[in-house]
Amino acid sequence: MQKLVVIGAGMASGRVLEHLFEQAPDAYEVTLFNAEARGNYNRIMLSPVLSGEKSYAEIVTHDDDWYNGNKVTCRFGESVVGIDRARKVVIGENGEVAYDKLLIGTGSAPFIIPVPGKDLPGVISYRDLDDTNAMIEASSKGGSAVVIGGGLLGLEAAAGLAQRGMDVTVLHLMGHLMERQLDEAAGYLLRKDLEGRGITVKTQASTKAILGEDKAEAVLLDSGETLPADLVVMAVGIRPETRLANDAGLTVGRGIEVSAQMQTSDPDVYAVGECVEFDGQLFGLVAPLYDQAKVVAAALLGEDGAFVPKELSTKLKVTGCDLFSAGDFAEGEGREDIVFRDPARGVYKRLVIEDNRLIGAVMYGDTADGNWFFGLIKDGTDIEEMRDTLIFGPSYQGGAAADPLSAVAALPLDAEICGCNGICKGTIVSAIEGGATDLGAIKATTKASASCGTCTGLVEQVLQVTLGDDFQMPASQAICGCTDLSHEDVRRLIKSQELKSQAAVWQELGWSTPNGCHVCRPAVNYYLLADWPLEYQDDPQSRFINERKHANIQKDGTFSVVPRMFGGMTTPDELRAIADAADKYKVPTVHVTGGQRIDLLGVKGEDLPAIWADLNAAGMVSGHAYAKGLRTVKTCVGKDHCRFGTQDSTGLGIQLEKKLWGSWTPHKVKLAVSGCPRNCAEATCKDIGVVCVDSGYQIGVAGAAGMDVKETERLAEARTEQEAIDLATAFMQLYRENAKYLDRPYKWVAKVGLDWVKERVVDDLEERAALIARFELSQTIYRKDPWAEEAESKSEQYQPLADLTLEAAE
Amino acid sequence: MMEAMTDTEVRTFIEVTEYWVPEEGVLKLAGGNYGDLTEFKAASGQTSFAKGEGLPGMAWAEERPVVFKTLDPASFKRADAARAAGLTSAVAVPLFDGKALKAVLVVLCGDGEDRIGALEVWQSKDNLLMLEDGYYGAAKHFEFVSKHTHFPRGQGLPGAVWAANTPILMRDLGSSYGFVRSESAGQAGLTTGLGLPVPVPSGETFVLTLLSARGTPIARRFEIWDARAARVGKDGAAVLIDGICAREGRLWAAEAEEPRRAAAWQGLIGRVLGSGLPVVDQGVAGIAAGYENFVALPIHSKGEVSHIVAWYS
Repeated sequence: MQKLVVIGAGMASGRVLEHLFEQAPDAYEVTLFNAEARGNYNRIMLSPVLSGEKSYAEIVTHDDDWYNGNKVTCRFGESVVGIDRARKVVIGENGEVAYDKLLIGTGSAPFIIPVPGKDLPGVISYRDLDDTNAMIEASSKGGSAVVIGGGLLGLEAAAGLAQRGMDVTVLHLMGHLMERQLDEAAGYLLRKDLEGRGITVKTQASTKAILGEDKAEAVLLDSGETLPADLVVMAVGIRPETRLANDAGLTVGRGIEVSAQMQTSDPDVYAVGECVEFDGQLFGLVAPLYDQAKVVAAALLGEDGAFVPKELSTKLKVTGCDLFSAGDFAEGEGREDIVFRDPARGVYKRLVIEDNRLIGAVMYGDTADGNWFFGLIKDGTDIEEMRDTLIFGPSYQGGAAADPLSAVAALPLDAEICGCNGICKGTIVSAIEGGATDLGAIKATTKASASCGTCTGLVEQVLQVTLGDDFQMPASQAICGCTDLSHEDVRRLIKSQELKSQAAVWQELGWSTPNGCHVCRPAVNYYLLADWPLEYQDDPQSRFINERKHANIQKDGTFSVVPRMFGGMTTPDELRAIADAADKYKVPTVHVTGGQRIDLLGVKGEDLPAIWADLNAAGMVSGHAYAKGLRTVKTCVGKDHCRFGTQDSTGLGIQLEKKLWGSWTPHKVKLAVSGCPRNCAEATCKDIGVVCVDSGYQIGVAGAAGMDVKETERLAEARTEQEAIDLATAFMQLYRENAKYLDRPYKWVAKVGLDWVKERVVDDLEERAALIARFELSQTIYRKDPWAEEAESKSEQYQPLADLTLEAAE
Repeated sequence: MMEAMTDTEVRTFIEVTEYWVPEEGVLKLAGGNYGDLTEFKAASGQTSFAKGEGLPGMAWAEERPVVFKTLDPASFKRADAARAAGLTSAVAVPLFDGKALKAVLVVLCGDGEDRIGALEVWQSKDNLLMLEDGYYGAAKHFEFVSKHTHFPRGQGLPGAVWAANTPILMRDLGSSYGFVRSESAGQAGLTTGLGLPVPVPSGETFVLTLLSARGTPIARRFEIWDARAARVGKDGAAVLIDGICAREGRLWAAEAEEPRRAAAWQGLIGRVLGSGLPVVDQGVAGIAAGYENFVALPIHSKGEVSHIVAWYS
């Protein structure tokens, strides 16, 4: 009988032994080493053991009887210290064993991130039963746990610990959970589910250190935040355990390199499972391990067999979180997406198709067809014929798609439709029954949708629900092809449904694309940051290039740099610094703008951080000449110098600009303050224009002097400077909260009506104060100089990737 | 393999299980398991309940599970027969499909120093699950602890059921089940817990938990079947997703094993699936693993039978 020594009693080597004993029970005399003091158990079921939904007894695969019955010499709890290939012996802590064939199944070791405090008691990884028992033990005292890593293992640990009664926070370095298995939309739904069970999730969270005297007490993040932690679980990844193989001189790359027969560089030594590398690939899921096991058993019996890696699918073992992912779902040229969302049921499905073949599938909430899609991916089935109904799965029977009107139909008659005028659904339905069969007639008879207009879509849907085919919905005013919703609908829903991330918008509003497009993304990004300044993080990738680069790109690919000059005022020092910068960076053109600024034109992209730093050093900040935000406040010199001046127009201009700068708006906003009705600062064609008079300040809004030319309309007269600033600020915030993206204030005011604006900004003092408070809250985030931040932290991004000047023809 | 429950002949915690269905405006007995209590069975067969009347009628009218820890003739119609049969407490669980009542399940228990187990009703208040009421037999200390425990979403068996909105089976209660109760659960000998959501028309959250002890088990085999189309396809079948049996060990399917599947009207689970009603039966063919008694409840959610829980003794 030949001697087989197996190192590691894991699931892969266990499966090899099963095959071996099934086919040739007397072929080998087997010695099994295992560093853990127990035999083979189903490691992938450790998570339910942690949560309490399974017991260890249930997940034992091979018990003592099995090992005895198959005459396996078990050396459990004994580490192997070396392999002597020349003598063909394995050296255990308690002595040597000779082998004819050796199988290495040492599995993997958890990756421990090298931060201070990683070795403190209370910091554990999550790989085996001992780790699981340590977590169960720790959780029995309650307290807080921090799980580092938002992948499969980390989330299962988090859910289990939460179920055991701990306060759990998951830290994940990437932007969304399980980013290797899920796209952003599915990651969003998963996060929502986990948060629903009391788990705090922090993405883009990088661990700096684990704090504590003689045991873990807290986790310190790069952001400076400290999270209390009685238990820290590291679940950031695994690496193949190759030490023994390495010491034995076998060929080792990232893992132990094996042939398709699972043979290492020594023909008498095989390796299987998570410790191997085949064709550059590593393996962590159980399905390929079982395939490998079959091949190893065949090879040990001298039979043919070859390991062929297959497509893998993923499921998360957290009761109540139903997700499925398989194949490749990265976006790419030539790939098409089919997306299905059912916001009410929390369902998201996305199929990725390339060359009429399904290559990837991600599903959340409804995973019944996962295996069918997985089959299509594995088999490379041509899906052209069923493309249109593919997403509905194999049992598609022509069922109707979800009816977008059903929500409106379900509204009770006393549900308010038009918030401005307090009109409820019943009133509108009565008006329709009374003969008002289009939007105009409804506006005329009920006043619904006659004020701000944000409920227009709803009123039309009530018409549609009530009249059916008799009412033709007006041509689509959708933002873009990704959705049927209008800008107004999206703004309203972002507020009412408290949608605070792009992923939330895409999912809850049923976007037909995975991540929006170049049209909707900037708008949605703006709406989110305007409505949720604290919760939502601005996404530079959803901005036009000028806003991304914090400079206006010119037609030759260079940029223009405009420092802010509050109220159009400057000093000799500032002018000198500008002149020095122009010299130093060989700025070819220096221009004085219509908004009383100095524009340095022709700055090279890679010089931007340096020129900003120089201007910063002289006390200047970005003029936001590139932004959908506050551009300039232009002033005249006012009563200090001008004999006609009635007030301190420059002083007011500076105050306004200091208050408003940095805020993002639906479109650019320009202000001016003139010291008298002669209006040298041209305040009467600005978005907000103040004209000083003897009695105070005339506040005009909604002017224009571009493609359209329009005089401002009088919003109010202010008696004091403070009142003027308050009115301007409140108007700005109302515009920020309500206008459609890329509508200048004059277009927006034309839609909602000046009266509607006045009611909120001028007449209702409480509302005015609330608008100002919300503006200030937003400014705590956005009243910051982007130049300073960029120059400091991201200057490498401004280095050229390639010499684009050669393509200047574009 | 199974340590949680032993297979010895002992009295079970629950003496009687029956279910009542609405017919012509009243609740009529549709099935039950009365063991040797033939007189109580006969008394029950002659009874019906109007909405609001008696224990089943109260569960119907108030649209929530109801616990009676004493069987007072003023509120419990069959009090005399119950006393004669040694029954001292009862729990009624209404099974709603949306707004429609499908059935009311009633379980009755007897007293005794050795009767350990728990039937608990948890209700969410202020975003926490609080014990609405419960019957614990002789597990008095555990009862005391439970009354002073609440569960946030996701924590403990009740919180996990709430968060996942699915029935959940937990093992080794002495070392799990939320850190607060595990110690006293262990002391009381409670080993296995089944928690299930009880949907009601008001949308309020109720979770029912059945905690089984080794000495006087509620059942010796528990099963949870998933019947949601979103999980198992649109052909109206159910698959066994979790289970534990004193005779057969684990019932869930490991990797690369096919889970057990039941189509509508196929076997006892199929009967629940097809009818949308509970099945309570004894001594009939088709009860798994040679058990005598069988109870299965459908949970209705979003217009379908979403799950079935079953227990055997």
